[in-house]
Amino acid sequence: MDREGAETYLRLLAEAAIRGSLTPAAESVPGTTRMMVAGHALTAVGALDPLVAEEILTDFRLAVSVRQLRGEPAPGPGQVLTGGQWIGQGRAVLSRQSYLAPRPAMAPSGPESGPPADQERAGRFVPVGLTVPFRAGAISGELCLMSFVQTGTGARFVAAWGVRTPSLELQLGFQHPGLIPFDLFTVTDDRGARYQLDHTPGSDIEWPNLISLSPAPPENIRWLDVAPPYRQAVRVDLRPPGGSAARVSVSDTRLSPGEHLLVMLAERLLTWTPGFPRGGLPTGPSTGPWRTMAAGFGDIIAALEAAGVLSPLSPVPARLATLCASLDLNGHGIAVPPAHDLPEPWLSLLAHYQRRKPDPAQLRDGYAALAASLPELDGIRLTLLGLQHTQGSSVLHVLAQGRTPEPRPGPLDIDLSFPLSIWLRDSGGRWHAARQDRCHRDGLESAIRLRLVPPLTRPADWVEVLAGGRSAEVRALLPLHWRYPS
Amino acid sequence: MTTLPNGSWFTSLPPCETLVPCGQGRHVIRWEAGELRLPNHPDPEAELVLAALGGEKARCVEIAAAWGRHVADLTVLGIGPRSAADPVQVSWDDVDAAGQAGQGVWAGPALRTRVMKVASAPKAAMARAAVRLKVYQQEAGEASQRRLDMLSLLALGTAFQVRLSGHVVAAYADRLDEPDELGRNVRSVLTAALGGRLALVAERWLGIDPDQVEVSLHRDDGWGSVELAGRGQQRRLLVSLPAGWLARVWACGLALTGGHLVVAVERAGWPDAQVLALRAPGAEPVSLSAHAGDGLPGAPDAPHWEI
Repeated sequence: MDREGAETYLRLLAEAAIRGSLTPAAESVPGTTRMMVAGHALTAVGALDPLVAEEILTDFRLAVSVRQLRGEPAPGPGQVLTGGQWIGQGRAVLSRQSYLAPRPAMAPSGPESGPPADQERAGRFVPVGLTVPFRAGAISGELCLMSFVQTGTGARFVAAWGVRTPSLELQLGFQHPGLIPFDLFTVTDDRGARYQLDHTPGSDIEWPNLISLSPAPPENIRWLDVAPPYRQAVRVDLRPPGGSAARVSVSDTRLSPGEHLLVMLAERLLTWTPGFPRGGLPTGPSTGPWRTMAAGFGDIIAALEAAGVLSPLSPVPARLATLCASLDLNGHGIAVPPAHDLPEPWLSLLAHYQRRKPDPAQLRDGYAALAASLPELDGIRLTLLGLQHTQGSSVLHVLAQGRTPEPRPGPLDIDLSFPLSIWLRDSGGRWHAARQDRCHRDGLESAIRLRLVPPLTRPADWVEVLAGGRSAEVRALLPLHWRYPS
Repeated sequence: MTTLPNGSWFTSLPPCETLVPCGQGRHVIRWEAGELRLPNHPDPEAELVLAALGGEKARCVEIAAAWGRHVADLTVLGIGPRSAADPVQVSWDDVDAAGQAGQGVWAGPALRTRVMKVASAPKAAMARAAVRLKVYQQEAGEASQRRLDMLSLLALGTAFQVRLSGHVVAAYADRLDEPDELGRNVRSVLTAALGGRLALVAERWLGIDPDQVEVSLHRDDGWGSVELAGRGQQRRLLVSLPAGWLARVWACGLALTGGHLVVAVERAGWPDAQVLALRAPGAEPVSLSAHAGDGLPGAPDAPHWEI
């Protein structure tokens, strides 16, 4: 990795942008977006310190704006500013994080600063697949237990809720937790100890899929009885199932950091569904984060090459050029001609968009229990914990364990703290990209809800999950048993 | 061909001076032979001592202090002018406005609203927030002072801006591998400074698109290399020059002299110098005698050299 090359590239990009500012037709702060995008790419792959990138951006903004100084305050948006405005400019920031907010905790690297030792354990993962009907006053519904998870951070069920009120029809999964009568359930283990269910503290209130169990039960209990109010308990067998049903294979990929970033950007582009109207080819707005990202591809690729993290012979930029052409994204600035060898999942998703009309949905709201741990990828252990389909939307619940990079938010709208590419192929042969939708980070663990793009349309008998990292990719073939709340 | 050291980088620059509002009048600030002089303040150090004891600090003295603080500040290269066609015009009114704004900007309402009092905030959390706030205010205050310094130095005019750039380059040209005091990569900063300035010189020299100029810092013996490669959109002017070129050649106004790209100064001097120059990319450099004349009408402060 050439860190000096990375810094030099960004500084030279600033010089080019300042030259652009000297032309009469220059925009108010020319080249800022290009610099933000290239700077984010370089910091994301670790080639450039974020503070250095922000310092370069700050100096660039000062250089451009000092050339716009005039004595009188600017009456509105325009190219002139006063000395007072110039000196009051804030520091350019790549991230949206507040200066005053504490910095996010970095994954500790040494034993002295490390997390409690029990967080390092993989844990116990059990598929459940049980539905617990309940009624509490005017509220009734079903608690759908997909899997049980016990790790160093505690024990919880991954579940979906179907809640019915007089004003709300039964819907599975996305209700506000305030409607869910956690405290009316009683949970007892095989030794008679009692536990309470609750919404996992710290997780998103719009995400009631993580149900914590407190206190944490011993690791060797054999079962839990989950009893709704005034009803018979449902027994959850916590003994590991006899043999894994998943067929898993691992193959080397050996992507460079630059290729890995470009693949993640391509997949982000493919899953930017709000920009893809269902009625036709993707024709997103003329501005917006995906246009910003696409317009910066040429600069990103040049920056990654300058940083020595992307070979000029890499096939990935040509694939990205093909993707942009397929999505009608012009002005991407990729110098190499498009390639014809797109990865099969990309082609499948493009074909979905180009069918111009949504597939008829034949899948009712339901869920499939899962508890499949994949081999470690780039230091991350991924466990699949359930598949859920609700109101035309499909999600895959996973737990990621390991030392992940520090989040580096920025204009590229990607999160390299979960640096894996996840795809799912259904038994009909269609691929679905899994885009991070919700994430609850606790020490070295991240519970993640991945939204599938496009959603499932049929009750697949099996799915193949493809998890890609920099060093390798894992394929896991999983049989599914769908369950539907009544 | 090897060029030998031939005196300080600024030997090919004439003195320059400007008038600065100071106290009730306007005082001369002069740059001469690499030094900033204050003819109206015979003992600036004594004035600084008096100012420290509560006396009023004269603007001339403040500017001299700012010059001293930034004479090896790489930020100067990022903000200062790239060519004679890139004047950075700052008035003393701008400086006054910035000075007034800078006094309140770092503790303004936006900041105060963020530090709301919480009824039951834990003491440890409040203490951490207070520390962060203090650090923020300190850093912000220092940044404000640096910007005010910079604005004052830019207000001295183009001649001073270019000379200050020369001083900064000269401070680092022989220690490219060491980070500066703020941890910046010196080679990266100087490569970008060379690229930004030489691209505009090349445009005037060959009519080439500045974006087609690629530069690197030359580190070995000799003056470096200048080559043209490719055609059409792929055409590139590949230039490798030592970092010191920015001080000895560019800052002295010698970069493009008599239609030649000057790549080195063999014998520095004012108003006569001996330079090594290229007629075209890829050609062998020739030794030429350069003579300084009156400044051009559009850029009276910039030295104008002829062969």
